[in-house]
Amino acid sequence: MAGQPGDRLNMKSNVRTSLCAFAFCLGAVLAPTGLGAPLADSAVGVGTVLGNALNPAPDRTRPLDTEWAVAKHTPSGQLFRLPFAAPDSRQTAGGWEFSGQLEFGYIGGDADEQNARYQMYQDIDHGAYLNNFNLQLRRPKGGYTIELMGGGAGRHDQYYGLQFGRANSWKVKLFFSEIPHVFTDRYRTLWSGVGTGNLILLPGLTPGGAASNATNNAEVAATAAQERMTLGLTRKKSGVRVDLDLTRSWKGYLSYSLEKRKGARPFGVVWGNSGGTAPMEIPEPIDYDTEDLLAGVLHVGGLNAFNLRLSASRFVNKIDTLTLQEPYRIAPPGGVTTVPAAGAFTQGRIDLTPSNDAYNIRAEYTRSMPEFFRGYFTAVVSAGSWRQDDNLIPYTTIPNLTLANVTLLPGGGWDTLGALSRRSTHAAIDTRLVDLTLSLNPTSALNVKGKARFYETDNKTDPFLVVNPNAVYLDADSGTPGNQSRGLTLDGVTGVWGRLINDGSGQNILMGSNSNPAGNLPVKSTPYSGKQQDFGATADYRLNKVSSLNAAVGREINHREHRERDQTWEDKFKLGYANRGLGDSTVRVSYEFDRRRGDAYLTSSYNEYFSSALVPMPITPGANVTSWAVRTNSGFRAIDLADRDQQVINARINTMLRPNLDAGISGQLRKSDFPDSADGRTGQKQRSANVDLNYQPSPRQTIYGYYSYQFGRTSQASIVGGGNLSIGQVTALGVVTPANAADIATAPGGPIFPLASAWTANSTDRNHVMGVGLKQEIGRASLNLDYSYSTGRTRIGYTYTVGGALSANNAAFAGSRFPDMATDFNYLDASLRYPLAERLSARLVYRFQRETIRDWHYQNLDGSPVVLAGGGANAAPTAVMLDGGPHSYQVNWYGIMFQLKL
Amino acid sequence: MKYSNPFSGGRVGLLAGLWAVAALVSSIVAQPTPAVGAAPAVGLNNGAVYVGEAVCIACHAPQNKQFTHTQHANVFRLNPQTEAQRRSCEACHGPGSNHLKDPANPANHGSLVGFTREWGTPVEKQNSMCLSCHQGGPAMFWAGSPHATNQLGCSDCHNPMARFSATGLLKKPSINETCYTCHQQQRAEFAKRSHMPLPEGKITCADCHNPHGSTAKSLMKADSVNELCYQCHTEKRGPFLWEHAPVRDNCLTCHNVHGSNHDKLLNVARPFACQECHGNPGHQTSLYNAGQLVGGGAAVSSRVLGRSCQNCHSQIHGSNHPAGARFQR
Repeated sequence: MAGQPGDRLNMKSNVRTSLCAFAFCLGAVLAPTGLGAPLADSAVGVGTVLGNALNPAPDRTRPLDTEWAVAKHTPSGQLFRLPFAAPDSRQTAGGWEFSGQLEFGYIGGDADEQNARYQMYQDIDHGAYLNNFNLQLRRPKGGYTIELMGGGAGRHDQYYGLQFGRANSWKVKLFFSEIPHVFTDRYRTLWSGVGTGNLILLPGLTPGGAASNATNNAEVAATAAQERMTLGLTRKKSGVRVDLDLTRSWKGYLSYSLEKRKGARPFGVVWGNSGGTAPMEIPEPIDYDTEDLLAGVLHVGGLNAFNLRLSASRFVNKIDTLTLQEPYRIAPPGGVTTVPAAGAFTQGRIDLTPSNDAYNIRAEYTRSMPEFFRGYFTAVVSAGSWRQDDNLIPYTTIPNLTLANVTLLPGGGWDTLGALSRRSTHAAIDTRLVDLTLSLNPTSALNVKGKARFYETDNKTDPFLVVNPNAVYLDADSGTPGNQSRGLTLDGVTGVWGRLINDGSGQNILMGSNSNPAGNLPVKSTPYSGKQQDFGATADYRLNKVSSLNAAVGREINHREHRERDQTWEDKFKLGYANRGLGDSTVRVSYEFDRRRGDAYLTSSYNEYFSSALVPMPITPGANVTSWAVRTNSGFRAIDLADRDQQVINARINTMLRPNLDAGISGQLRKSDFPDSADGRTGQKQRSANVDLNYQPSPRQTIYGYYSYQFGRTSQASIVGGGNLSIGQVTALGVVTPANAADIATAPGGPIFPLASAWTANSTDRNHVMGVGLKQEIGRASLNLDYSYSTGRTRIGYTYTVGGALSANNAAFAGSRFPDMATDFNYLDASLRYPLAERLSARLVYRFQRETIRDWHYQNLDGSPVVLAGGGANAAPTAVMLDGGPHSYQVNWYGIMFQLKL
Repeated sequence: MKYSNPFSGGRVGLLAGLWAVAALVSSIVAQPTPAVGAAPAVGLNNGAVYVGEAVCIACHAPQNKQFTHTQHANVFRLNPQTEAQRRSCEACHGPGSNHLKDPANPANHGSLVGFTREWGTPVEKQNSMCLSCHQGGPAMFWAGSPHATNQLGCSDCHNPMARFSATGLLKKPSINETCYTCHQQQRAEFAKRSHMPLPEGKITCADCHNPHGSTAKSLMKADSVNELCYQCHTEKRGPFLWEHAPVRDNCLTCHNVHGSNHDKLLNVARPFACQECHGNPGHQTSLYNAGQLVGGGAAVSSRVLGRSCQNCHSQIHGSNHPAGARFQR
């Protein structure tokens, strides 16, 4: 769903496809076979619903059943909703009972709004609508049933489902559902070929640019000003599932689904030097197919229950690479020469997400042990594998690149596969799970459980070596007369190490001079693996018939390979209380305390993957050892590895204020401290409070209202790092030696991380959400009103030392915070239904929707996409921001729908 | 401080597998009679006897009118396979003879299993009626699940007396609305700027969570967070030539899946989200600020514009390019 220049939204170009799908559905019904109901059940898979924004649930505009008795409450004290009037069933001569409804009509007003925020997950437009339909058939003789449903026909949020079978014996479900996902409607393309793997610069732009940046900037700005387009994608998923009752105790199922994703989304590409030149937003093409095959058997018999599930999934990206022309004159980086000497970088190539496969087998078993403390035992064993073996592409598409002090051997050109250490990814991660639980009831009031869980992701991928095996260094060793050619060896491979980045417009390659072998460069990929073990025990003590106390203790141990911390362990304690009989109320509260700790935090854990593994750290006085010694400051902790103390309090009360009025109140307090993190995330707080009211005074009237407040604050800190470190350098922490270089380099307060450059930031979210609604029967008419309002604010503030983290000049502009990010959303949906005849009703619909949004990431970007950093018109842009970002909208639309009972 | 692995995963897995297979085989051989649809315990409803659904319908016609359109009615009436299913109303409510004696008297509530708070049947007894048919399968891990521990009754979420929902015999028209009746916090999160398409009716809570119990945290329907996310985001599954450690470890390190004030469901706005882990010298530790915005007064930084760090590091979920170590290609 990538709109071409001039298109408002080329989703409509796929209407024919959608209508074909719909026609297929209808044809299938007549067959009778076709698309049908959701795929997943509550335990397996995704695809549990068919609906869209206009039909988030089965037709809620139906009148209520006025014959229904007074509404009762759930065991927790919530009002049961009053049922809709039962459908009128009719009977065919063949003995089929059927009922159903078709709703169609016309929508006008602002329904055609193309704002990406409005269209994000829905496709509402002007014109005729087949809004929804459903049909239920059943034939008592034989017990056969058929159900058909659908909606949004021809739209990009359409859905259809068909289910047929024999009750209690077998059933077949088929479905088709489409989900739009619009990212932006303010993208300004510089290329033709949006949505494909080849982006060709539009007329007026020159691949490789002109010598003058001012000219390039002007041409880019002029081209970007021509058109705006929408970038988005659609997910079209269809599937079939067959369920069979094999015997009274064995059931089986088999399902298959195919999802096609197609469109484009905003993406980024960057050029030059170390990789920070002229980043620009490009449209990434999306053309994905995912096939999922699922099969399983379920068994319940006697004291045993058993589930076995096999799954296979295949993801195919039909566009493997994205090649794009670039409109700027990117200068070759130091040590790189091109042919021609200037303007050689005319294009770049991105290796898009690769196709992959996944497999899993899972067995679940439960055995009840009524004679042994009325206990049960469960065991779950699962094994899976994710695999990917995409063909690799060369470092660059630009020919004739040469590097200083590097000699290419035959077949070693950087634009050839000969420059790679291997030709395909050959990547695999295996997963394993064992989960065991034993539950016992020593007394009638006490239940205790023990649980052990082991989960592993085992990365089997051999590290990719970033080496050109068909290249050697032309050694300029000052200690040896003359030139010598040689390579460096790591893991048994000899060659020239480092990567030619960003299509050669930047380089990260050890240049082979013994006098300066520095370079903190990635030379090997990291195969991250992890193991997680959980051990825990819970006790649930029944205080009386309506209340219970529960407690849980547990430890989660995470072993992560190749991370700063080898192991973390988190101890968890939880205490809960539930009382369903506190007067007319049900109360549930819990308190949880988690304490995470770990072993030594090593900032040097990635050393073996950097060029420091190739060349020993120099020890001679004056030698620059920055590449070997400088890492993250030693007070910095990554979020997922940091020590953490976390407390969570949850409370939930449901109360029956009156027989026809219930209230639900809930709240949560969450606080996380990171006691060992001087830098990184240093704290987090979250609070929420919620209240719901439901009032059902009569079968002709229901009213609801709710309000939620949320607060969240995340605190973090860091120290602006920079500078070099040399052997013999005198610092406040001592004289640098090979032995202490790493300690001094990573020390907060050291020469690389001076405390004056420390800063902190707080990100504070505040949200309010409220909603009210009414369903009222007025004579023969039915009125439905739903209104909701939500508002969100995020304020990011920071502290720093002037002259440290920010210069006095910059501090004058920086102030103490960013402008608030804000989103306000109003939504009113009104519907008045009136029966025109026994089987025909009319429904007037009205929708008001308004969203205002402010996000400083896109401040002033819509006007000029070429962003200059202040270097003047002839400077290369600091960024080319082609996406104007989210913006506000307001729509009023109305329509009339006719409901025809079948 | 290191903790030794108390057991080998492979060894325990093998043992558990053998144990399960042996138990399963023994159960099939020794106990061919299934528990599914087994008759409720003797003595239910104070020793009442079954009277048949016709007797029930004689007084409960409005209920029957609604019930007729439910999945239970199809099973009980069109093709019952067990004695319990043939009992229809009494399959769930138990034998009704004692109820007939004094149906309007609240003191006689013990004569029937009811599924409302007003009726007063203990939740354990209510649930046992449901579980007499619905044990195993998706509900295999109901016992001890968070919902069970918090004393939820099946009828806190389900109302099999009428067809409120397209599937699942829920008490509300949709899965999401049913969950929101207790999980109001999540409802508010789905109202935020970035959210999954739940309000738009395209996915439900049950796509990710199994409310009937799970061996994973938060009632997840997969063995890990990432395995769950990969069900829809298969392109993120990889494995990639260049992996990003927290991405491989846990999607939740960066994303709040229920909703966020920030783009892409991020926990914190970029570049600060990235700077929670990246503290190396250079641009990773710079303090990005309002002055660097377009019109902010100072030199503009691309790191505060648009997609921020991902303007350059666009392949942040992993790269397959030989030069993709920094996720730029």
